[in-house]
Amino acid sequence: MQRHSTKGVLGHFYTPNEALAAAVKVRDSQYTHFDFLTPFPIHGMEEAMGQKRSWIPVVTGLLAFFGITLAQTFIYYVMIGDWPMNFGGKPNFAWPSFIPVTFESMVFYAAIGSAIVAIIAGKRDTIPQPPPMKIATGATIDKFVVWISATDPKFDATEVQRFVASLGADGVRYVDAEAGNV
Amino acid sequence: MTTARSESLYATVAGDAQLKGVPVVLPGAGPYGGDEEVPEPLVTGGKTYQDVDRDICMHTEQFPTRRWWIAFGIALFLLSFLVLGIATMFYSGMGILGINHPVGWGSFIINFVFWIGIGHAGTLISAVLFLFGQKWRTGINRSAEAMTLFAVACAGIFPVIHLGRAWFAYWLVPYPNGRGPLWVNFNSALSWDIFAISTYALVSLTFWYVGLLPDLATVRDRATHPWRKAFYNALSFNWNGSHRAWRHYESAYMILAAFATPLVFSVHTIVSFDFATSIMPGWHATIFPPYFVIGAIFSGFAMVITLMTIMRNVFNLKNYITLNHMEAMAKVIMLTGMLVGFAYTTEFFMAWYGGNDYEGFIFRNRAFGPYGWAYFIMFTCNAIVPQVFWFKSMRRNAWVLFAVSILVNIGMWFERYVIIVTSLHRDFLPSSWGMYGLTAWDWMILIGSFGLFFTLFLLFVRILPAVAISEIKGVMDPAVSATKRPAAPAAAHAPGEV
Repeated sequence: MQRHSTKGVLGHFYTPNEALAAAVKVRDSQYTHFDFLTPFPIHGMEEAMGQKRSWIPVVTGLLAFFGITLAQTFIYYVMIGDWPMNFGGKPNFAWPSFIPVTFESMVFYAAIGSAIVAIIAGKRDTIPQPPPMKIATGATIDKFVVWISATDPKFDATEVQRFVASLGADGVRYVDAEAGNV
Repeated sequence: MTTARSESLYATVAGDAQLKGVPVVLPGAGPYGGDEEVPEPLVTGGKTYQDVDRDICMHTEQFPTRRWWIAFGIALFLLSFLVLGIATMFYSGMGILGINHPVGWGSFIINFVFWIGIGHAGTLISAVLFLFGQKWRTGINRSAEAMTLFAVACAGIFPVIHLGRAWFAYWLVPYPNGRGPLWVNFNSALSWDIFAISTYALVSLTFWYVGLLPDLATVRDRATHPWRKAFYNALSFNWNGSHRAWRHYESAYMILAAFATPLVFSVHTIVSFDFATSIMPGWHATIFPPYFVIGAIFSGFAMVITLMTIMRNVFNLKNYITLNHMEAMAKVIMLTGMLVGFAYTTEFFMAWYGGNDYEGFIFRNRAFGPYGWAYFIMFTCNAIVPQVFWFKSMRRNAWVLFAVSILVNIGMWFERYVIIVTSLHRDFLPSSWGMYGLTAWDWMILIGSFGLFFTLFLLFVRILPAVAISEIKGVMDPAVSATKRPAAPAAAHAPGEV
């Protein structure tokens, strides 16, 4: 999702430890609309940024339950309801032989559903103004980027730049994507 | 001895020659003055984050090398065998194949089980080793997962063309139809197979693709051409490395691993049910599910070693896929090889101890009957050859590793040959005994499936990053790998300027 008027302050660090220490300070300075862009996930960053645990496992649980229910209902409908057949006089409701398909159905919905939800959540469940995509931050290569959005209630362009520079960040700058100031 | 600790091993170990395969002991470096053992680095050559990007992405960025074109040419040539073989079979019918009474399951089912087995190592490396926190998986997981997908693609062809009328393959799927509706039989192991294989293919694809997302963004950010940027941007779903996205990403990745682990065991279990739920002597055995799963991991790891040996040399990835990685895989080969050998022996013991005449005959016939040569190849390649890995020098010898991996793959193909053909060719009724042999068309389609596999793999290494860049960066030492801070802070605007 691209926002058109994106304003905020960018800066970058060179090591994951610097970024981790900076995240704690940004969190403790009562900023809320901030983000860290990193080439790989940093252990302990969730706590440092003051984030709650991801809610994806709850979605997975629901999807797994859905997969089980769907498979059981469908197999019951097919094998008992719609067209019961006689296989050597065995009972129609042969539940042990329904387990493999039920298991596969559970895995299918839970695994693939969780992945899709996580990709969407990465875009939706974020701050109101993520950093503009057109800026080459280097965050997928070797930079550990901090971004404090102008939507933050405490935001003051001069003050925030001073603050980010005081964390030890390089390349600190005010960004206004609409004005072409990147 | 604090000097030993002040310099990271990531900076000092230049290559395979300096790796020993054992932790490095730093005398006196422990917290209380004792010795400390630190693991050897997973990436050698003192690489930086930018080096990783360059070394791995360059294969997608530059024009293919001559060696790649030669390999691709051979793979395409072999692939033409598959196309020609299948087209001829569709045109003139299944009579051109070796299958007949009494051996009705021939090379197609052998190839199906063989390729599905190959696929298992990818998921094992990516999911099971992830859950166990084995960091060495980072060097090989991407290409092993790709191998899984391509092996499953090869496997998927065979049951479909084995149907005879492959154009009715959609009848295998339960959908409301005009024939009653006549549904599939959910009590049948063959119908479980449809669900297991298709779920396995899709979940493996998802797992692989989720792992690729951050790396696709890296390729995008290195790209210079706007079309290339747009293409990889779309593939990476606009990934920008936000930690608010990483949070959900990591959670989903863990969940995918947790689901892929039982899935990989369930798939080959269900494949073994195709045999074990029948009444054929030699098939009707409770040992089949674990026996098949172990065999699958065994053959899959052998194929990973084959591919990694090629990738290390052709794509110059020896700093990322080190000899330590190869040795770790050799250990898995040895363990699973012994388990497979144990299963072969257990089958014989049970055939004798069970006291069933037919079962006893089948096993005597397997080892000493007309197909004894196949049993001999199977047992030698799978149970005896991997024993060389007791010696560390053998585990760290690239030639031995490559040779053993090829022999194991041959042995595992013959394992399926032995199981399927020897059980069917002499069953309960001596008057209906017979022999089976692969015709030229059987061989053509088998060889062609290798063509398909290698064609897909060679395209993969050209288009996508073949090593998991973001995961590799996560196991490196930032003190060595991070870009150095420039001497003067290079701010675009001075702080305070708006």
